[in-house]
Amino acid sequence: MRIGVFVCQCGTNIAATVDTEAVAEAAMSMRDVYHAESIQYSCSDPGQRQVIAAAHQHRLDRVVIAACSPRMHETTFQRAVIQAGINPFMLEMVNIREQCSWIHEDREVATTKAIDLVAAGVARVRGQVPLKRGRVPVVGEALVVGGGIAGIQAALDIADAGMPVTLVEREPTIGGNMARLDKTFPTLDCSSCILTPRMVELKHHENIRLMVSSEVTAVRGYIGNFEVDIRKKATCVDEEKCTGCRICEEKCPSRAPDEFNAGVGESKAISIAFPQAVPLVAALRKEHCRQFIKGKCGVCKKVCPADAVDYEQEDELHTEKFGAIIVATGYRLFDWEGAYPDYGGGLYPDVITSLQYERMLSASGPTGGHIVRPSDGREPRDIVFLSCVGSRAESVGRPFCCNVGCMYIAKQAIQTREHLPDSRCYVFYMDVRACGKGYEEVYRRAQVEAGAVYLRGRVGKIYPRGDKLVVMGTDTLIGDQVEIETDLVVLAVGFAAAEGAGELARRLNIAYDGYQFFTESHPKLRPVETTTGGIFLAGACQGPKDIPASVAQASAAAAKAIRLLSREDLETSPMVAEVNHMRCIGCFKCAEVCPYNAIEKQKLHDGRTVAVIIESLCQGCGLCNVACPPQVISLRGYTDNQLISEVVEVLR
Amino acid sequence: MIEAAKTIRAGEEMLAEIERRSGQDVSSCYQCGTCSSTCTATLAFDYPPHLFMRLLQLGLVERALASRTAQMCYDCMTCSSRCPVGIDVADVIETTKNIADESGRSRPPKEVALFRRLFLRNVCRHGRLHEAGLLAWYNIKSGQFFNDLSLVPLVLRKKKVHLVPPRIRQRRELRRIFRQAKTKPGAK
Repeated sequence: MRIGVFVCQCGTNIAATVDTEAVAEAAMSMRDVYHAESIQYSCSDPGQRQVIAAAHQHRLDRVVIAACSPRMHETTFQRAVIQAGINPFMLEMVNIREQCSWIHEDREVATTKAIDLVAAGVARVRGQVPLKRGRVPVVGEALVVGGGIAGIQAALDIADAGMPVTLVEREPTIGGNMARLDKTFPTLDCSSCILTPRMVELKHHENIRLMVSSEVTAVRGYIGNFEVDIRKKATCVDEEKCTGCRICEEKCPSRAPDEFNAGVGESKAISIAFPQAVPLVAALRKEHCRQFIKGKCGVCKKVCPADAVDYEQEDELHTEKFGAIIVATGYRLFDWEGAYPDYGGGLYPDVITSLQYERMLSASGPTGGHIVRPSDGREPRDIVFLSCVGSRAESVGRPFCCNVGCMYIAKQAIQTREHLPDSRCYVFYMDVRACGKGYEEVYRRAQVEAGAVYLRGRVGKIYPRGDKLVVMGTDTLIGDQVEIETDLVVLAVGFAAAEGAGELARRLNIAYDGYQFFTESHPKLRPVETTTGGIFLAGACQGPKDIPASVAQASAAAAKAIRLLSREDLETSPMVAEVNHMRCIGCFKCAEVCPYNAIEKQKLHDGRTVAVIIESLCQGCGLCNVACPPQVISLRGYTDNQLISEVVEVLR
Repeated sequence: MIEAAKTIRAGEEMLAEIERRSGQDVSSCYQCGTCSSTCTATLAFDYPPHLFMRLLQLGLVERALASRTAQMCYDCMTCSSRCPVGIDVADVIETTKNIADESGRSRPPKEVALFRRLFLRNVCRHGRLHEAGLLAWYNIKSGQFFNDLSLVPLVLRKKKVHLVPPRIRQRRELRRIFRQAKTKPGAK
């Protein structure tokens, strides 16, 4: 056994607080160490060459690098030792930078600690054996969860690269929130005109399978080999037979809330959300249907010319295998009513959300594109917009910016002037954030061309006066209170994560923040990856974003998925569990705790039944290692003996 | 408290008049404050230039018409030259002042009116401003005989002010311009 120790100076990062020469000298006296030296920058090319040369010269078979975190440069040095003819797992990184030089001031103390850490590393590497990576085949199909613009974009990108994609959407149609928008900033082009071609393309793409009214209920497996349970909810309509004629909707006697139109207007228990829905298939909501509530009705079944209505239809459970998963579950509006009693808390019909206003602006919306007061159907003359409702407000638990409010207010103000030339918009704002390409221009257009009056301040209270509303605000620019008697108030309500986002994250085993937005692996350098390999993020499920950013992220996520799916197999980590069959008592405590179902039973020739690790499934978490009563399971690369000898060295 | 919807509607017509005559778009001001940062006369103002613009934006035109800002601005044009939007702020203020004067809503302070009269007479007579003459006349007419007198040796030595009036050619033409200007509506 011949160990080499290399102590990195990292310029002055380490050398300023740790006497690297002294550490190297101390290492020379450790057992089995045949060479030790201090290197100025061990990760640099000359530094690596120095390691390789020393390994050859001293015939080293194990290498300890005392430098930075293995997260920074472990692969760098693994590559170097391979060049020196050493197994990459015979390398041990000792972190004397983040965990030593950077956190200590006293040079003597830091040097002593560094020597201890190196001694522990030497002890550990002494117990190391050469390991070999396994290979596991990759399932060549992708799953996209969520059929909004981000999910659509990601699915199309992957499918266009020639790989099969399944898109799972919870609602009966794809399109998501973008389908509800009338126009989109900054160009003010019609939202459905740019979205629906994509929806149709997706529907007819030979590589895409669309599953609507469906939800992911369980996820097992790991990168390249996910096994996903998908529940297709019963909609009581046969997708194959339904022609989308909407006769059932017309004749249905049961009224139901109109979620697609954000509650403006009413819908029926059996309905199609909007004329361009994909697939153009009706769906029945049992909780509002007379047939299911009272047990008799059957009108839709009777009138359906295609005989597509089937009250007996049941949920279907599908289990599919995927190599990569893209999560694009989007957002919903923050539930403002409970948080803002000062704005009426939903009591005043003429205080509406920006999404409800958007539905009113839409020609295919419930008011046919006419802006009217919900209370009396009159056209408003003065319209007040409030920005940051449920955004940038610690008091209601939403401290972040919604990213889009400023822009859609400006857009809606411009549209309002087009719809009602005699009206005037007033906008209460804290800051106007118009950072995208062409965004400032939209904001200026709202002010200068559409005559919107911007008032800098938050609104304190809204109360009714006669059939009007009084908005009490301030304008900090003039330094005075401002009161506006108005006909309509539009709240720019902030973003919240989609319903059930946290639950889905737990099923997928990905991280999410306090607002249930999914967390990217690194905020700058890994913006579409999750902390779980093979699962990627796209769109507003990761945080508030506008359409251009969602689409960009979706394409980025698709590229990552394609990169994964285009591989035939993946290297697995050799750091997996191992059972000593001679001593296994067959209690299978290990199988009980294993989160990856990686342990199976095997009958030996001598009649005993023992535990066997399926190496391609094992993720090396170590739970079985701990749970095993006779302590016969060990983790390769982290055996009990290795860890104990490491601890002993530190404590010596 | 400002009832913005009412004030804006009430001030709409007057604001349109100011915008038409000055050729400036008051709504395009985004209240950055460069004009006020750079203004050389704010110490004499009740509203610094950006607030003057804000008054107009909120329809508080009457307040702007009656303001000291409108009367005391001496058109140095620094605000206009530095405005990032390119608004001629000084022109907006000047136009407001003119409207205030014409409609009799406000009268310039006595000294300001006197200074303006003497200034124009001075330019009309010499073709260019004769500062020493203007200073002398202003002190005599306003009764503040010793105002700024201590500065005279300094400005003479530095040749900032000349005792001999400047002369231009074609003074007759100049007088005609003045005569014609006086016939314009609103001129005094």
